[in-house]
Amino acid sequence: MSRKPRKIGTRPLKGRGKRRSNASPSAATASSKTLGIDRLRLRLLVFGVLLVMIFVALFSRLWFLQVLAGDQYQALARENRVRRVESEPPRGRILDRNGIVLVDNRPTQSITIDRHLIDDEEIPKVLRRLSKVLEVKAKELRKRVNDGTVSPYKPVPVANDVTEAEATQIFSYKERFPGVDVEELQIRKYSYRELLAQVLGYVGEISQEELEESEQFSKGYKAGDIIGKAGIERTYDSWLRGKARIEDIVVNANSQVVGNRIRQFEKPGNDLVLSADIRVQEIVERALADGIEAARGGGYQAPDGGVVVLDPNTGDVIAMASSPTYNPSVLADGITQKEFNRLGARTPTPQDDALTNRAMASEQAPGSTFKPVTAGAALANGVIGAYDGLDCPGSRTYPPEGGPGSVVFPNWTSASLGYVSIPKSLEISCNTFYYELGWQMEARWGEAVGVGGDGSERFQKYERRAGFGEPTGVDLPFEQDGVVPDMDWCKANSDIGYCPDGWLPGYTVNMSIGQGDLKVTPIQMATSYAALLNGGIVWEPRMGFEIRKPFPQDQDELEATQTRTKTDERVDDGTTAATRPAVTEQVDLSKSKLVKEIKSRKKSTLPLDETQIGVIREGLELVVGGSSGTAAGSFAGFPLEQFPIAGKTGTAQRGETGENDSWFLSYGPADDPGYVIAVYVEQAGHGGTTSAPIARQIWEGIAALEGVKGVDTTDVSLASDGSG
Amino acid sequence: MATIFGEAVDRIGGEPISARMARKAPIRHLDPTLLLMTLALSAYGALMIFSSTASKQEAAGGDPAMFMKRQIAYIVAGVVALLVVSFFDYRHVRALAPVIYGVTVLALILVLTPLGDVQNNARSWFNFGLFQIQPSEFAKLALIVAMSAWMAERKGDMRWLDLAFCLGMMGVLSALIFVEPDLGGTMVIVAIFFVMLLVGGAKLRHFIALGLVGTVAIVGALQMDVIEDYQIERITAFLDPDPDVRSEGYNLTQAKIAIASGGLRGKGVGSENTQTDLDFVPEQHTDFIFTAVGEQLGFVGGAALLGLFAILIWRSLRIAAMARDTFGTLVAAGIAGMWACQLFVNVGMTMGIMPITGLPLPFVSFGGSGLLMNFMAVGLLLNIHMRRFL
Repeated sequence: MSRKPRKIGTRPLKGRGKRRSNASPSAATASSKTLGIDRLRLRLLVFGVLLVMIFVALFSRLWFLQVLAGDQYQALARENRVRRVESEPPRGRILDRNGIVLVDNRPTQSITIDRHLIDDEEIPKVLRRLSKVLEVKAKELRKRVNDGTVSPYKPVPVANDVTEAEATQIFSYKERFPGVDVEELQIRKYSYRELLAQVLGYVGEISQEELEESEQFSKGYKAGDIIGKAGIERTYDSWLRGKARIEDIVVNANSQVVGNRIRQFEKPGNDLVLSADIRVQEIVERALADGIEAARGGGYQAPDGGVVVLDPNTGDVIAMASSPTYNPSVLADGITQKEFNRLGARTPTPQDDALTNRAMASEQAPGSTFKPVTAGAALANGVIGAYDGLDCPGSRTYPPEGGPGSVVFPNWTSASLGYVSIPKSLEISCNTFYYELGWQMEARWGEAVGVGGDGSERFQKYERRAGFGEPTGVDLPFEQDGVVPDMDWCKANSDIGYCPDGWLPGYTVNMSIGQGDLKVTPIQMATSYAALLNGGIVWEPRMGFEIRKPFPQDQDELEATQTRTKTDERVDDGTTAATRPAVTEQVDLSKSKLVKEIKSRKKSTLPLDETQIGVIREGLELVVGGSSGTAAGSFAGFPLEQFPIAGKTGTAQRGETGENDSWFLSYGPADDPGYVIAVYVEQAGHGGTTSAPIARQIWEGIAALEGVKGVDTTDVSLASDGSG
Repeated sequence: MATIFGEAVDRIGGEPISARMARKAPIRHLDPTLLLMTLALSAYGALMIFSSTASKQEAAGGDPAMFMKRQIAYIVAGVVALLVVSFFDYRHVRALAPVIYGVTVLALILVLTPLGDVQNNARSWFNFGLFQIQPSEFAKLALIVAMSAWMAERKGDMRWLDLAFCLGMMGVLSALIFVEPDLGGTMVIVAIFFVMLLVGGAKLRHFIALGLVGTVAIVGALQMDVIEDYQIERITAFLDPDPDVRSEGYNLTQAKIAIASGGLRGKGVGSENTQTDLDFVPEQHTDFIFTAVGEQLGFVGGAALLGLFAILIWRSLRIAAMARDTFGTLVAAGIAGMWACQLFVNVGMTMGIMPITGLPLPFVSFGGSGLLMNFMAVGLLLNIHMRRFL
């Protein structure tokens, strides 16, 4: 079986492959006759190369798709067929300390537009049709569709509370409403309208920043989630929100469901019980509103104000009010970015911002209400003894030896009021008394050059210990720090014009009467006063009280709740009239299961003994009950013998404008305090002018709640006295 | 006509074909590999047809194996056709070439008349109740035979006139198929034409001339709106796949997802909740059958299928090289070109490297006419192979 040596191009075509060499020569000649054999072979070779290229292309493409890009396409295939459906778990209710429902959910039929399912050119047409059905201006709907606060992946709700008839109309002409759907959504229902608005906060879709923050702290939020954006809704969001039911639904190309798997069962959010008492809250808000109205009637601007009511024994926040206020329902029912801006995010002046909770986010000089803090610092550091006294001249000059650069600090009256004790100094609010205490402290421990202090800043240290210069830590977001001015603060702010000559003794002297660059929030004031009443404990106040298992446990209550809900369908907003709901819905807290108790934390303790605290409290009682007390006029006619009140007025000068912020701190009953109240109204005259009457109105309400007889609840005339 | 095409008997010295056949015993020179590949591909196809139609059939309350059973029936018919075609000496086919071509043209004309049946917007079928015949499938084989017969006569020395004649034969067929409309079929006809020219002796200048004419024709067709917009859109969709459901890119995107998501080993035949099972890919038992292969059997299955085709086409090319005469060579090369073209366009379109045109995958896609024609092509190849010593 010998093979001839191969010679490409000369060998007959049919000689290829398995062939014996003894092929018939005639066949070979016949074949070579038919076609130039070499050329045919060449052509077949070219064809073969072409075919090889085809296979190379197919194989490599297949390899690329299935092996190199396979993972990516597997994910696409999954997306194709699996639709993840998540339920919106019912958010927990918010109750007051007696179980009264403040915030609940209510179902609403919403019209939503899915911007993915509708061509841009078609949107105006569809909106026009919708506006006819819903009798809403197309422009209004357009604003909602373009709302940047809703993620582009989710259908935008453009109208809530759609009637059954309107929904049917849309459903029966579905082809005329591409991308439009009617969904039943749960939205927040605020039974008490404006009451506690800033404290409750509101919910909304998670923003990009919040999402990034969530990733950072692994809170487990994802795009499109409805979360608490402000107030207590934000702080306790993780308790309130519950868990969604997550279900993977397998669909075919026609979107027909062919299977499902539940990944997570639904868990409704927990109820949050607040320490707030809605009855007190109502009294507080009414008093604040009335007081501001009266101040405006009296020629003051009084643009805003805030009130805090604490339980000094526990650190519970019983009430918290801020003016101006708003009805959170408008946020729940849907609001455009523009309306939201008008409400708070971007108002003409900061004072118009209704979303800010001034009781904890407004920082101002406290005026004379700060004097008990100065007294405390002086007592604690031995500058003055509990039973010592000082002169109360018409003015004091510092440095006392006079000379160039010396400054005269006046009292509120040029008359000398003689030698006064600590209680008396508070009763008459003697400024010169406290200047001297401030000066003494500066002279021993201050930073001022040439005064002789050692720089240990004990005055400021005491203030911090009493809760100033940092947030109280109340369980509400966006609390302000306030400012305790000291050397470090001077250094940190020198570049924006503060302390051009370093720390001056006058700063301390001013601070001793709550002026200068000292800044406090109403809740800081309330906390520091509470410390005088509970043996020195500075609380980290708490608005949240308890977390409880949602929904009534027994059937009776469930039914009762449901019938109540029916009678209380929807509240009109926009009116400032009665804030009380038609039917009060109350949960029997003893029957629901406690999940977690929220306790106030002790932040610090004042370094004062009982005697020292006693003289300060004596002074504060005299402010209201004493014959020459600066708030005596405001409480004329109040049954102090049955319900003794103590307090301190404050009149803080606003820079050089000549305007004053009005403060009043008070507590009662003075012998066994159950409440401490801080009232602050911006640009509203003296403490006794606006804030003390507001406090009186609140005390009247509280006294009535406590069952005190003989409370005169008629309007209190504006008491004006000259003290601060 | 007979003189133009020549006689099949003139090269065997007047001896009766049957006598020669008996002496050389063609059955001893069978190509079992080719036959095996044919059957393997057909079985593979039938299985994939089952897996891509069973759940839908079941859901519709029908026999889950209905499509597979019909395909198996076609395969049986195909085997019969194969035997018949391979039984008679292929040189008879050469003699019959004018008749075959003529009948095909007639059938293609008739199918355009109301006698033809419209399916998927194309008037491409004769409906005989029990079965349907798609003449455009047979036109592919007819063109191969006709061109081979003509060019074998020229012995590789092609003149302009020969080119014009072949172009004419191809032009008539492609025009008739194009107006059905069957874009995929037209493309295969054109591809066969070029393969035949390449193997059959066309010169470079012929190709250049054809290129010019072709460009003018395509530009003209576009200018005169002969091609429907949707066809242009479909053809060009692969250049810019848009996953939008409403666009033409949808089929392509879904096909790619199906194949690629199969990964290396696939999701398994008959696995649930796949692109195949959930009907995301259209026409999956016919033109898009390769997506079912890719998704369920992965790269391993897809590569195996391509491998079977590679062997099939290699055997065809081998037969072209071994054929006794130029006619046989040309026929075998034409068949190889036809399959390669269909394979490349069909599989290529599901993977996004070729335009989407309606074109079945030979032996694998569901469909009687295509299967019958392909089995006849295998019969011809076997015929050429068996009688290479006669």
